[in-house]
Amino acid sequence: MTALTIKPINMEYSPVAAPERRTPIDISKYKMIAENVTVSYGGIDAVRNVTMKFKENSVTALIGPSGCGKTTFLRCLNRMHDMTKNAKVKGKVMLDDIDLYSKAIDPIYHRRKVGMVFQKPNPFPTMSVYDNVTSGLRLNGVKDKKILDEIVEDSLKMAYLWDEVKNDLKKSAVELSGGQQQRLCIARALAIQPEVLLMDEPASALDPIATQKIEETIIELKKDYTIIIVTHNMQQAIRVSDYTGFMYLGDLVEFGETKKLFTDPKEELTAKYVQGHFG
Amino acid sequence: MNPIQQRRQEYRSLFKQNVAKRLLVDKVVKIIVFSCVIIAIIPLGSILVEVFKNGLTAISIEFLTETPGSAGSGEGGIGPAIQGTLIIIGLSSIIGVPIGVMSGVFLSEYGDNALARFIRFFNDVFMEFPSIILGIFAFLIIVLVLGHFSVWAGAFALSLIMFPIVARTTEESLKMVPMTYREAGTALGLKKWVITFRIVISAAKSGMITGILLSVSRIGGETAPLIMTILGSSQFFSSMDTPMDALPLRIWRLSLLPYDSAQLQGWGAALVLIMIILGINLGVRYYFTNKKNGFFGQLIKQRRKITK
Amino acid sequence: MTRLIDPSLHKLSFIMSEMGDMVIESISLAIDSYLTGTNTKDKVLKLSDAIRAKYFEVEDLTFDMLLKYQPVADDFRLIRSSTEISYAFSRFGRYAYDITLVRDLFGDVSECTNASLVESTKKVKHMIKEAVLSFAELDVRKAIEIREDEKFIDNIYRERLPKLIESTNTRCALAEALLLRYLERIGDHAVFMSDAINYIVTGKHRPTEERIASHTKHD
Repeated sequence: MTALTIKPINMEYSPVAAPERRTPIDISKYKMIAENVTVSYGGIDAVRNVTMKFKENSVTALIGPSGCGKTTFLRCLNRMHDMTKNAKVKGKVMLDDIDLYSKAIDPIYHRRKVGMVFQKPNPFPTMSVYDNVTSGLRLNGVKDKKILDEIVEDSLKMAYLWDEVKNDLKKSAVELSGGQQQRLCIARALAIQPEVLLMDEPASALDPIATQKIEETIIELKKDYTIIIVTHNMQQAIRVSDYTGFMYLGDLVEFGETKKLFTDPKEELTAKYVQGHFG
Repeated sequence: MNPIQQRRQEYRSLFKQNVAKRLLVDKVVKIIVFSCVIIAIIPLGSILVEVFKNGLTAISIEFLTETPGSAGSGEGGIGPAIQGTLIIIGLSSIIGVPIGVMSGVFLSEYGDNALARFIRFFNDVFMEFPSIILGIFAFLIIVLVLGHFSVWAGAFALSLIMFPIVARTTEESLKMVPMTYREAGTALGLKKWVITFRIVISAAKSGMITGILLSVSRIGGETAPLIMTILGSSQFFSSMDTPMDALPLRIWRLSLLPYDSAQLQGWGAALVLIMIILGINLGVRYYFTNKKNGFFGQLIKQRRKITK
Repeated sequence: MTRLIDPSLHKLSFIMSEMGDMVIESISLAIDSYLTGTNTKDKVLKLSDAIRAKYFEVEDLTFDMLLKYQPVADDFRLIRSSTEISYAFSRFGRYAYDITLVRDLFGDVSECTNASLVESTKKVKHMIKEAVLSFAELDVRKAIEIREDEKFIDNIYRERLPKLIESTNTRCALAEALLLRYLERIGDHAVFMSDAINYIVTGKHRPTEERIASHTKHD
């Protein structure tokens, strides 16, 4: 008998774009819906006609090889592309029932409902820990010291940083370690009382222990926030997320429950990517 | 020996073997570079030494506070000149620094268009303008129009020199602040001007201060524009519409007189001017680094703790 | 692009194919020894022990792969099912040995052979071959045949048992009862194996109720 080759036949799926769920969708259960989003830089599409729905109080991971458009897509969700020249965004992004891209709304007001944490921890260097956490509030006009103190304590507790800094909140933010700085950025994002949290590879610049803490934080935060996280670490996606979307060259190839996508992906491209055949 | 080791030996033999010679070359280059630096510093050092040597003897309380005596008498002092320099530097800064900083902010934060490119080019050209021409310009549009020399004209001319330098250095310092802080601010829902003024500028503070101090030192020593605008005088400051004295003007006048005593006073004035510029530099740096949690600030804090 | 996990996967498939060969050989030898009277106990014992040794090897290898490579998707399903399938192989080897023990204990029972026995042993041989081939080619169509074979063996088992209770030839009846018992167990494991193969290919388990029921109930 010849050695076995892993060449399955009679697979029960067909290689077609990820089908829409056949059960009718209850819109009210989705916190955020991105519909037919296309982002192009100077004529080149970085994200092509992507539709994704994010359930309330869930964690969704976006995976894919470098340059597939996952970070670009993430930044659409809080209109960060307004800052970029040459970026054209088409499509709708609904937060609850409001289209964030409609001309009628104030982007700045709604941006506060969607917090963002970046890849490299970026606490404001000239401010202390306390000032960093309150920066989103003070610079938006909140002056009451008692309220600021409360919010600082709450946010730092939620980010699992309170115990480490509570004795010296006036310490400069840049004196913290990398992992602490990233948790400080999470606390800063939480301080403005968002409903959705966007995270762009939040643990990629951190050591394994710090990464673990960030992942624990995400799982705790899930209870009260809807979280969308871009990650290139597939094990992290498996550990932390409920749903996963796989993007490749600007297209959404597959979207589904994390366990299903990683044990029995529908698309062959997804299977190839998660098993490390490319990317 | 196995093929890998053989190949290793082969390739290694290709490397230059004259290690001792190359270490020597290394040392020689180091010496040459070092001597170039020394050669460059010697003239500067000797100027400072000369000024100190010659000017120290002229310093006294009367020298620093009295008006000039009659030419060649060896009496009197440079009080008005010191006052005038401080006034003219202060006034020019009040005009030049805010305008310069605002232009720098515009060029850096809002400057990705044709207008900004034009302004930047013009700014760079302006920085190299001969100061005498700026003095003549101020003369034409203020002195001639008003009919007399005035402090306004002097401040105006000096601010014209100041403003391109401040704009340029502000723009460069702001550009050095990584984009990620602006993104963080945007993500927090802050308006652009809040991000620029409360976050970016405070991160770029040290660079901006360097630029401002550079321009202050520059205008402290400018003579030509002052000749055309404040003219100089032997009296203390009386009003904004009359001529005023300043150290560069006084030094110039004193050095042209044929008397030894006048020359001595000239050296003294030069020493005072250098001390003022140095003082402003160190003072501002001390104040700002003490406030911030910068390296020098920490050093100062530690020293304070020890001496307490 | 060769991935880090590929050499281990090849090793796994190699060991499994060796086990498959050994299983087919041992079952054939065991059944023939019963039907024709040859004593193959020692040979089959050696094969059964070898299969068991390979089973432990497979266990070590799969957990090693899980530790090192954290496989997902196809790799993951293959590795997960390999534990089930290699266990089934080790059971086949063990039952083959048990059958040769019957021949050894009872002596030559070739005269006890009857038509239904011949049929069931033929079916078992066919079933084992199909199961091993199905794993080698990851062909889930064979699962249907395996299920039918297993049902057939079950039926024979349930029909013959009452008759054997009434039989007067104690020696033959006991030998046949033991043989039928072992054949029925082999059938069960063959079905578990085909379920595991189905999981590799389709990613779906048989519904839990069915899996529990198939362990105990038979209809």
